[in-house]
Amino acid sequence: MQLKKPKPIRRLLTAATSTLLAGTAQQVVAAEKTPWQVDSAFLYYSEQDRVTVYEPVVAVRQETGDDEFVGMRLVLDSMTGASPNGAIPTDSPQTFTSPSGVSTYTTPAGETPLDSSFHDTRAAISADWEMPLDERLKAVFGGNFSREYDYTSLGVDATFSWDLNQRNTTLTTGLSMSQDQINPVGGVPTGLSPVPTTAGGQKSTEGDSETKDISGLLLGMTQVIGPKTLLQVNYTFADEQGYLTDPYKLLSVLDNSGQLRASDPYVYEKRPDSRQRQALYVKGVHQFGADVLHASYRYYWDDWGVTSHTYDLHYRYELAGGRHYLQPHLRYYLQNKADFYHYSLEDNNIPAYASADYRLGDMSTTTIGLKYGLVLGESHEFGARLESMQQKAEGDAPFEDNTAVIFQLNYSFLF
Amino acid sequence: MVVATEPSLLLERHDGYFCSRFHAMASPCELLIETTDQALAEHLGRLARDEALRIEHKFSRYRDDNIIFQINHSHGQAVAVDEETADLLDYAKFCYELSDGMFDITSGVLGKAWRFDGHTAVPDEVTIEQLLNHVGWQKLNWSRPQLILREGMQIDLGGIGKEYAVDRVAGLVQAQTDCSVLINFGGDLFSTRARQAGKAWQIGIEQPDYDKLHKQAVANKLIEITTGGLATSGDARRHIIKDGKRYGHILNPKTGWPVHGAPCSVTVAAVSCTEAGILATLAMLQGEHAEDFLVTQDVPYWVVR
Repeated sequence: MQLKKPKPIRRLLTAATSTLLAGTAQQVVAAEKTPWQVDSAFLYYSEQDRVTVYEPVVAVRQETGDDEFVGMRLVLDSMTGASPNGAIPTDSPQTFTSPSGVSTYTTPAGETPLDSSFHDTRAAISADWEMPLDERLKAVFGGNFSREYDYTSLGVDATFSWDLNQRNTTLTTGLSMSQDQINPVGGVPTGLSPVPTTAGGQKSTEGDSETKDISGLLLGMTQVIGPKTLLQVNYTFADEQGYLTDPYKLLSVLDNSGQLRASDPYVYEKRPDSRQRQALYVKGVHQFGADVLHASYRYYWDDWGVTSHTYDLHYRYELAGGRHYLQPHLRYYLQNKADFYHYSLEDNNIPAYASADYRLGDMSTTTIGLKYGLVLGESHEFGARLESMQQKAEGDAPFEDNTAVIFQLNYSFLF
Repeated sequence: MVVATEPSLLLERHDGYFCSRFHAMASPCELLIETTDQALAEHLGRLARDEALRIEHKFSRYRDDNIIFQINHSHGQAVAVDEETADLLDYAKFCYELSDGMFDITSGVLGKAWRFDGHTAVPDEVTIEQLLNHVGWQKLNWSRPQLILREGMQIDLGGIGKEYAVDRVAGLVQAQTDCSVLINFGGDLFSTRARQAGKAWQIGIEQPDYDKLHKQAVANKLIEITTGGLATSGDARRHIIKDGKRYGHILNPKTGWPVHGAPCSVTVAAVSCTEAGILATLAMLQGEHAEDFLVTQDVPYWVVR
């Protein structure tokens, strides 16, 4: 503890230094420049014969005070293409009504039924404010809003980071809340009610809109293990309440002979109206010379019976003294299905909840990618990333495998 | 430290200025010269390199053919020093007194106990006590131009050498040209005058390595310097971690132990690079009170914690 105030010594020091140097300088003019940091990216995601997404992102960040920052981010998602509607392929062509009920589409025999009326644009904006509360305590407050034609989401979050142990340990806690509103085209279908099979057919609905509330908690710790090694552990918990069903997904109902039942062959899916999701995440970062390795593992589980393991590895090779870098990426994701996942349903044995959404089924994805980065001086950086993703049904899940290509360009600069 | 006998000098043409690069004092050195006159840029580059190497040659404690070696191996005998060395010793004495003993050019021997490469063990109290017998400006006898060092003591001008070289080069450059020149020796720098059209030289302050690990990309702080000197003390990479405790590389010459709560780095702007360097070093030595010290001195500063 320091008991006395520091004494002013600069004038004496200036005089002595000028004797040493025989007087070189007259004055000092130096100030910190706080440029806008701009990160922009364009993402292209395309599944074979299915969905294609174009996603431009722009984010800006500005220092507004000592270690105080404001940031803003704008994302546009444009989705086109077709997505599996949940029905199974059959020996004969199948005809479905579009969600609006005004038109129909037909799937040829032997093919996975895809809803091609699937195209949408989503705009999302988020802002955050980072500020030191104390020398060791930092807070980030954020808000986000997104809108697409049938979905609106509004959320707020707060994250606190506390440095301990001479900044070798950082404890983080975060809270978030969001409220979403869903306005499905053609109304909210009654869960497990029959899907009309002719244009103009009436579906059973429960009003025009539904809501969903999500609260989240994050507890994390980052530990410096050595001058070149860092370990991060996070636990996340999210509680979702409300309408968690996909209003456009359906299931095929089969009779005793394994054929689509004659009347009402399809029903709308229905999921429970609450979900508790938890995850444990461990990440290690190690520097090898100028190169950096990131390795992480995530275990996820929820009260719908879904569990998953995610392994992620990327390695940044520095080239030409940091002017370029190459970053190979490898990711493997393995998921166990939800309790109410069914590939199809049996007549007279309809459960309380059911979904045929492959994203709730037994599946795995393998991603292999490479990123190239070019550092153009202090304030410009360009990157290009190409990845291939293989999605496979696991166990005896009979749904179709799929592949996707991801291509991203990004450019960051200060101005 | 091996110094190449004919170090290369690199000249690059940029938009509106030349950049002359060379290596000296274990650091990348550069001059940014706001001119279109290539011959002038080449001349100033050579001038700067020669002066930097002269100072390194004369005051490096890693050589066996200079005045520092002679002093450090004098075995208690008096050494008569030249004018320039005497000026630097006077200045070191002044800084020692001004800082109540916190700035001490005899503290280098403590480095025998502390090797900040991230792995070495923390030394024991006895070792440090023994080394402290050989530390302390008050134990040497300086009567210009004569210096008497006790057996076992050493001096090291490394704490001001680079900043002094920047200021010396600035003086030489200003005698040759009126254009704006930024002299940057491994992050210690000086701008001779304002650039044309109100522009300033832009300097990035590096963030600590572990911040780089935390985030994908950390924007460096950007400082615009028009005139004057700027110096940074501290290096986040140099420390020891033992039993979960991090020992920074700033040693208190009175106790022999690292200063508690020292920032990762302190950057100060002042009328000369040497003054900026002394203020930055003294601020580091204040540990957790670095900011209080800098506020009292009323100088522009940037602290990275």
